[in-house]
Amino acid sequence: MKSKAAGGSAILRTIRLYFIQAWFSYRALYLWNTPLNYFISKFGYSFFAMLMFMFIGKFAGLADPLYIVTGNILLMPSMNGISGVSTAVADEKRFGTLSYLFGSPAGRAPVFMGRALFPVLDGFLTAAVAMPVALLLFHLDLSKTNLWLLLGCILLISFTTSGLGFILGSISLVNRDGWMITSSIEVGLFILVGVNFPVDLLPPFVRVISYGLPMTRGIQAARLALAGANWPAVSQLVLGEALVGVIYALLGYTLFRLIERRSLVSGALDDL
Amino acid sequence: MIKRFFRLVWRQMNVQLKIRIFNQYTVLLFFLQPLVFSAVGMILARAAGNLAPDLVYTVIGGGIMGMWSGLVFTSTWDITRDRLYGTLELIVGSPTSLGKVEAIRTFTNVMAGLVSLAAAFLAAMLIFNYSLAGANLAGALVSLLLILFGLWSIGIFLANFLVWSRLSDQMVEFLELPVAVLCGFMYPLRILPVWMQDISMIFPIRWALGALDECLSGSHDLAVLGLQWGLALGIALLFWAMARWLDGKVHDLVRISGELNSI
Repeated sequence: MKSKAAGGSAILRTIRLYFIQAWFSYRALYLWNTPLNYFISKFGYSFFAMLMFMFIGKFAGLADPLYIVTGNILLMPSMNGISGVSTAVADEKRFGTLSYLFGSPAGRAPVFMGRALFPVLDGFLTAAVAMPVALLLFHLDLSKTNLWLLLGCILLISFTTSGLGFILGSISLVNRDGWMITSSIEVGLFILVGVNFPVDLLPPFVRVISYGLPMTRGIQAARLALAGANWPAVSQLVLGEALVGVIYALLGYTLFRLIERRSLVSGALDDL
Repeated sequence: MIKRFFRLVWRQMNVQLKIRIFNQYTVLLFFLQPLVFSAVGMILARAAGNLAPDLVYTVIGGGIMGMWSGLVFTSTWDITRDRLYGTLELIVGSPTSLGKVEAIRTFTNVMAGLVSLAAAFLAAMLIFNYSLAGANLAGALVSLLLILFGLWSIGIFLANFLVWSRLSDQMVEFLELPVAVLCGFMYPLRILPVWMQDISMIFPIRWALGALDECLSGSHDLAVLGLQWGLALGIALLFWAMARWLDGKVHDLVRISGELNSI
């Protein structure tokens, strides 16, 4: 009876730790900022990148910019999922709190995974807000859209990008220019995941990389949901996207634990 | 006096170039991001049924984009780094004015950005067989010098805001894409709605870029080129004058209030 109660309280402690870590890491990411700067960092770059690609497309001779508009909106969660999560992990080292974290008895899984909760929700909300704005500005037709499926796809994309964020955050712990790698990958997504054009237009060897990345299948599924597809039509894409996301999150966590173990042996993590 | 000035320029440029070379972010700004934007342009051109992309805008425009991105981020990061490492106070307190230091740094950043343009030209010529035969090379050189001067004047203008407040770095960095969109780095300005073309008139690089495009297309029309060069030079000088005025204001502000480290 006693051990059952102790087990229950351990689970409660883990859940509490998960949410507290999630909240504090999210506050640390954005609370120092002003609302205007926060808003600009959320929508500014994405909006103007979208405009840039729209005009590049128009100059190239594409008549309909909606493919680019929806693609760039669906890419928005990646800003939170990749940059937000990787920064939340990497800043532990930058601000000198990583040693305390590794020295604490707190469970690593809730501490590590908690860093994704609010960026995932934030990324989902960002894209969900941007859709109606696109409806007004670019006359995006949502009349046939399978709304719940579309929202589900956006939430899934937000989650799967956080898996990549975990990996990049862990890399940032052992590489001082980790944020440069993160930024480069984010820029590369404009080509690789079907944001501005279908991935079928890429050379075959690049397409292999595309399908190994999160978002590619998620964006395809979201586009189908936008056009009114139902679950059977997108199920394979959705399940594939979920699988890729889980694999990336597990890889990120494993990498984090390996780095932790290595740092305990060498004691040189802060020198890197 | 002149010898001392050139010594200062040399020392500043030396340090600045070392920082740029050893910073991997430079690779992203000067090469990777322009490459991605150019690649998107090329793939979209192919998707639209064009046999070949427009090399001036799609490839060389990417190089201009690299120069601009490099300037925005390196110039903001210079001040942010000084603030972070505590050297901003030392510069403000030194007999050499911060404005002068920033002017030399920005000049170095602009010149370093030329590698992005050079890489784009090389790619256009070696990979896509772009030819400069028939181009107005002397005019293109004048236009390029005006692009550099325009970039430099905007760079020193923006640097003041970063000294003024640490929160302005996000605002300044945010300008990267809006200016690129408005100035038509990767497409001709006629693509933009008229109201956006009107806004773009306040940027000197817009006029110098227009002239560069004309010259690369072989235009020798001095009336058209002269107007664009004149506007580019005039507006760049206006930015420079505003930068000088702001420099004095900001310098006084941080010295009088003593709040440099807290703002």
